[in-house]
Amino acid sequence: MTGRRPFWLFTALAFGYAFLYLPIVTLIVYSFNDSRLVTVWGGFSTRWYGELLRNEQILAALWLSVRIAAMNATFATVLGTLAALTLVRFARFRTRMLFAGMVAAPLVMPEVILGLSALLMFVTLEQMVGWPAGRGMTTITIAHITFTTAFVAVVVQSRLSQLDGSLEEAAMDLGARPWKVFLVIILPIISPALIAGWLLGFTLSMDDLVIASFVSGPGATTLPMVIYSSVRMGVSPQVNALATIIVVVVSTGVVVAGWLLHRQGRRRQS
Amino acid sequence: MMIDIRKTLGATALLALAACSPAEQPVVHVYNWSDYISDAVIERFEEQTGIKVVYDVYDANEILEAKLLAGRSGYDVIFPTAHPFAERHIEAGLYLPLDLAQLPSHRNLDPILMQKLQSVDPGNRHTVPYMWGTTGIGYNVEAVTAILGEEAELDSWSLLFDPETAESLSGCGIAVLDDEGEALAAALLYLGLDPNTTDPDAIQAATDLFMSVRPFIRYFHASKYINDLANGDICVAHGYSGDVLQARDRAEEAGRGVEVAYAIPQEGAVLWVDLMAVPADAPNPEQAHAFIDFLMVPENIAEITDEVAYANANRAATEFVDAEIRNDPGVYPTDDLRERLVTLDPLPDDVQRARVRAWTQIKTGR
Repeated sequence: MTGRRPFWLFTALAFGYAFLYLPIVTLIVYSFNDSRLVTVWGGFSTRWYGELLRNEQILAALWLSVRIAAMNATFATVLGTLAALTLVRFARFRTRMLFAGMVAAPLVMPEVILGLSALLMFVTLEQMVGWPAGRGMTTITIAHITFTTAFVAVVVQSRLSQLDGSLEEAAMDLGARPWKVFLVIILPIISPALIAGWLLGFTLSMDDLVIASFVSGPGATTLPMVIYSSVRMGVSPQVNALATIIVVVVSTGVVVAGWLLHRQGRRRQS
Repeated sequence: MMIDIRKTLGATALLALAACSPAEQPVVHVYNWSDYISDAVIERFEEQTGIKVVYDVYDANEILEAKLLAGRSGYDVIFPTAHPFAERHIEAGLYLPLDLAQLPSHRNLDPILMQKLQSVDPGNRHTVPYMWGTTGIGYNVEAVTAILGEEAELDSWSLLFDPETAESLSGCGIAVLDDEGEALAAALLYLGLDPNTTDPDAIQAATDLFMSVRPFIRYFHASKYINDLANGDICVAHGYSGDVLQARDRAEEAGRGVEVAYAIPQEGAVLWVDLMAVPADAPNPEQAHAFIDFLMVPENIAEITDEVAYANANRAATEFVDAEIRNDPGVYPTDDLRERLVTLDPLPDDVQRARVRAWTQIKTGR
């Protein structure tokens, strides 16, 4: 490691990082902008943070989005894991191709179509059986689950297919029931994939604008919907302030998680 | 274990009680454009009537339309744009006919505007106007006067359609709305023709007019001109009054010496109106009427106009509006000019097809 690294390597690295993080840095810098114009610098100020904390509409939408995202991620992880298990474990059943295709379909389906079809389904259901009564948080969560399950299934499936089958056989040889094998052997091994799937589901749900716009009802406006609808009048720097807070929270989470993993890894080595 | 069950039961009972408590507060579900109302007015409505307002926002008429068409949207008051949305919603029977007995403030509305809205809502039975504006010309005052001279007429479509003027302005940039109806209407108005014409020759004339200035138009876009005007990147834009006034405010706030102004061309301009309506399957029609009536009280709607800077459709409210907004001819045109505003009407399919074809030809420049 004594040789000088090629100059262009650093340049490429710098460009790469700039490409990825410059937009976020700009966003954070402008959240401290005194001017109401998002694109013009008017001096340092934290007034947008104050206004954000008083903006009930944005805060309510944020809280709603977080609740939907958490619930969606949990359900999608359970369903996605079940789907992945089915696909990996049961190598051959009659409708396997159909099932695999159906699980993956939402990955390639345009969101507009998913949203519209979910909306029509909810309306028809309401007319036929009276549930869901009106649309709101429940319907958004259900619609989100249907499309995030596909993503979770893909993540978990790749982990499961790398799983060494002999571990399972050994456990069964030693007298474990299938349920116990699943709980004690498989689940811990695929837990990183489950966590990844959960986080992915959370992010996808927080992000989603199109589907939520279709299936939301009175009193259920998610954060992306509030932000997008305010674009018509020009984005307020409050959105920058909110995004900055989210970035800070997320990066803290990532740093803590990384530190924990690192510590765990060291402990395992010693 | 017993305790757990008892606790759960207790909690469930409490929840059930809360859900069907007898003193349930009446609600009204309002679905409006974002930043299109004054929060203080909503709070006052809640205080005075005891009705809770659940307020949601949308960003496009299409979203509203999708929800209405699917049915059981759950909203009580909506704010669709008159043309073409409310028009086809009314035709499809999506709105509840309004009960004027529950709307005593209805008499405050502007008769000229109500008359013009007849083409959208025959008899004004389903809707009342909320805010309105025009599609005219936004320009950079300094840049345009520097090129055309102090005496030039700036309140005319000739800025766009006179080839000589357009050529001299092309250097600093002309933008046209990417909207077939609006753009062809502007050309037809400049030619002194009916903007809702079904005559193929008139449409051809408008197309030829556009083609003669086509090389001088920098771009066709629905909203990009707002920022470009504010930054001084273009100097003439065919655009919506609200957007141009927003560009003016942004330019002021930026403080870089760009002055944007809005003019309603003397040849006439297209009028757009956002309406208030009640969906046919609204769960709380009575509260919806109360809300709409509250917004037709002059003091209330004037307060909203002060906040959003659009003209309201309430004759009696004008005196309560902030003088700066009230005296701005871009927002509140004179009666004389008001008469020359036109609404876009629905056109037969074959005419519409011909217009869209003409518009494609104009945009591609071939």
